Amino acid sequence: MTEMTRRSFLKTTAGVAAMGAAVPILSGGWPQLLAAEKPGYFEREFGISDALCRKVLAAALARGGDFADLYFEHTIGNWIILEDGQVNRAFSDVALGVGIRTVKGDQVGYGFTQELSEKSMLNAAAIAATIASGVRTKPAGKFSWLETKNYYPLEKLLTAVALEAKLPLVQKLNEKCFALSPLVVKVTANFHDQQKRILVVDSQGGKAEDLQPRDYLTALVVAEKDGRREQAGWNLGGRRDFSYFNQNAIDEIAAKAVHDALLLFDAVQPPAGEMPVVFAPGVTAILLHEAIGHGMEADFNRKKTSTYCTMIGKKVAEPFITIIDDGTIPNLLGSINFDDEGTPGQRTVLVENGILKSYMHDKISARFYKLKPTGNGRRESYQHYVQPRMRNTIMLAGAASAEDIIRGAQKGIYVQNVSNGQVNIGEGDFAFYVSQGRMIENGKLTATIKDINIMGNGPKMLQDITMVGNDLELHQGGTGACGKGGQSVPVGFGQPSCLVKSLTVGGVKS
Amino acid sequence: MNKEMQDLVAWVIKATKSAGADHCKVNLDSNRSVEISYRDRRPENIKEASTKALNIEIYANGRFSLQSTSDLRKGALQDFIANAVAATKLLAEDPLRTLPDPTYYEGRAEVDLELVDPAYKSFSPEARHEMVKSLEKACLRQGGDKVVSVTAQEQDGAQESLQMTSNGFFGYAQGTTYSVFAEMTAKDEGDRRPNGYSYAVAVARKDLPGTEAIGIEAAQRTLAMLGAKKIKTETLPVIVENQNVGRIFGGLMAAMFGRSIQQKRSFLADKKGQPVASKHLTLIDDPFIKGGLGSRLFDGDGFSAKKRTMIEAGILKEFFIDWYYSRKLGVEPTSGSAANLVIPPGPRSVKEIMKDLGRGILITGFIGGNSNPTTGDTSIGISGQLFAKGEPVQAVAEMNIADNHLKFWNKLIEVANDPFLYSSRRFPSLVFENIVVSGL
Repeated sequence: MTEMTRRSFLKTTAGVAAMGAAVPILSGGWPQLLAAEKPGYFEREFGISDALCRKVLAAALARGGDFADLYFEHTIGNWIILEDGQVNRAFSDVALGVGIRTVKGDQVGYGFTQELSEKSMLNAAAIAATIASGVRTKPAGKFSWLETKNYYPLEKLLTAVALEAKLPLVQKLNEKCFALSPLVVKVTANFHDQQKRILVVDSQGGKAEDLQPRDYLTALVVAEKDGRREQAGWNLGGRRDFSYFNQNAIDEIAAKAVHDALLLFDAVQPPAGEMPVVFAPGVTAILLHEAIGHGMEADFNRKKTSTYCTMIGKKVAEPFITIIDDGTIPNLLGSINFDDEGTPGQRTVLVENGILKSYMHDKISARFYKLKPTGNGRRESYQHYVQPRMRNTIMLAGAASAEDIIRGAQKGIYVQNVSNGQVNIGEGDFAFYVSQGRMIENGKLTATIKDINIMGNGPKMLQDITMVGNDLELHQGGTGACGKGGQSVPVGFGQPSCLVKSLTVGGVKS
Repeated sequence: MNKEMQDLVAWVIKATKSAGADHCKVNLDSNRSVEISYRDRRPENIKEASTKALNIEIYANGRFSLQSTSDLRKGALQDFIANAVAATKLLAEDPLRTLPDPTYYEGRAEVDLELVDPAYKSFSPEARHEMVKSLEKACLRQGGDKVVSVTAQEQDGAQESLQMTSNGFFGYAQGTTYSVFAEMTAKDEGDRRPNGYSYAVAVARKDLPGTEAIGIEAAQRTLAMLGAKKIKTETLPVIVENQNVGRIFGGLMAAMFGRSIQQKRSFLADKKGQPVASKHLTLIDDPFIKGGLGSRLFDGDGFSAKKRTMIEAGILKEFFIDWYYSRKLGVEPTSGSAANLVIPPGPRSVKEIMKDLGRGILITGFIGGNSNPTTGDTSIGISGQLFAKGEPVQAVAEMNIADNHLKFWNKLIEVANDPFLYSSRRFPSLVFENIVVSGL
């Protein structure tokens, strides 16, 4: 189905299993994968040689073009689900294919195939080639491996972790949630692990291979009190070794999910209208992602459809504000050793001391701006072409204490947990959904609030951040998925406490 | 019917049973798709591919798992199936998780739903490019000097799906779809660059509106948002424009599923037979609309499709209950998913209704927002037009509405005559009274 709008959104619904067509459980691992630590996985498993890549790239450039690239992917994902006390269902999914892209200026031709045969790949390359209409260009005669750091080393491949080792995680999580309160009536617990192997080969002679793990453990809890029900969830994960999911992780997820569900029984409806809003550190950084991040993706600026397209080098925030997008933080969900066009993982400063320094670039926008790509060229899978996307978007710490910030707001809203958000790039208008927060009255936290949408305008909000805390927290979740142009990619985020002097709170009382 | 697909599915069933499964369901989807977009009067993206996806539901020793793969090499599949069956046996036993009773497969309607456009095969690359060019041209012309950027796109595809179970179900469906989409970004005061779009989706090309009309509408919708601002918080009547109704309706519908009810995450769980909306809301699930984007003869469980009234004059009549949750809940199943959802249209146009309402807001876009299925609480951002005496007076954005679904749908006072036909949610514009619209 067509993606009907360029509006972008983020979901990080803790615990809510949205698995329409989900996937496998493959117990015991696939022994043949264990030998694949050395580069050359796709050559060993599927016979993808340099000579074959050269031939396909040549076909992709048969009518010219600036460059072409091949993106091979083999992904194995598993979900196990506990409901009503038992792990009685599991899903798994295997995705295998190659995407072939021809780029001419800002024009992209794209074909993909699930069959890694020469014939299928040449067919897909011929489709990609149609974007150009000039004279054949030749791919490089030789390919060299890109050497990168590893921001997510594993002790053991996730595909080698037996199902028997995963089952106790969700069982213990379930038990722990019920043990924490007699009011808990339902628990859904999931564990997901995914192992994505990619190989990027480009016509300029680069080739890069990676193994990207992704996993999370999540609980969704329903509690009942006096005939009324409330729900809350939490998860931990990222690009983690399986050993991360230990008793501490289980305890933390259960404690947070149960605590939050019980809190909501006392929740009141907040007022509606403009007021100061304080963000707790951590998961609330969806604010950054929506209000600021998307507008700084270079494709929107290259096309002049972002409000930030005229602001490079200008003051966009107070001098105590620095915002980065960083693919190099160990084990965070948005970290990447290299991006999906073979540019090494890196840290990009977007806003430095209040000045807009850089957009996030893929190769196409970098050529347009005559800059180096920033390693933000990402895609959902081999079925999708590259777009500039965020990795881990983070506001660095300031000087204020959380108490001072809450006091500074005097009367307003304190946002503790956020489930999703959305932005209209051109207007800069954004919204995000607060699943839990507090009222601030006389500079102090008071009643709990829930289920409210908060709205604002990105550039204005950035200017309106008047205090930044010393308590930077990176969200350690594994479910953050950012949607753009019909594609979803995993992202991370983090921020310290901060005060925005005015946002529109979608409460119900005027 | 594609014999190669049929042979593969039959082989997978056999292989799954040989690997130790008691029962299985196999689904093979095949899809060819083309996408072309234009910007600055030249192609921006051209994309084309054919894909297959195989799904296997395994039932072994009273245990269940679902596997999917795009790696259809037989050797790889054989290993995949063997591993999957072995792993399934490690899960907890669930006696309620079985293939459906085959009696539910019976009674399948024998009608042609007209889901395949016979003209699809002759849809040439040139015709595709011409379509997108004319879409872009109309939008650029209508947008005039306010245009910052226009993107025009068409996507089309042909799908085939084959589903078989080891207890006697066989289903085959095929279809075509065309979608056209145009969006424009306009220059506004300051740094604001409003973006608006228009689209249509249909099974047959002849059922699409002209590309010219879509291009013009995309520009008009964008230009209408120039100068948008938020106004004071006010209690007003609102009209939710037809193509946006689905988004707010989704919050009500999320509580209508068997899983939500069984897992105590539904505010509608105990409301069957009771009013959940004003008398103006009737909701019908109709699988048999010819050329309908959600039309089907059987559902995901293999149940023969039935037309059902889900909500009648505000009274909740049915839930969406699949085979598994029907057994968990101890109730008769309906269907686990909706086909085409229809809210029967009323007699008057949005324009006529606006004249009578005096002052109100026509909601043409939602942003952010969510809905809590356990409690029914919802809050969502809106944009659109403030109107008075039937005429728009000010574009509004960055505003919000919040309510509980059980209250909100009781504020429905009229249904307009304009069902949106380019979706499986055929909803007309809906009119609500006494809505708090928060802004300044």
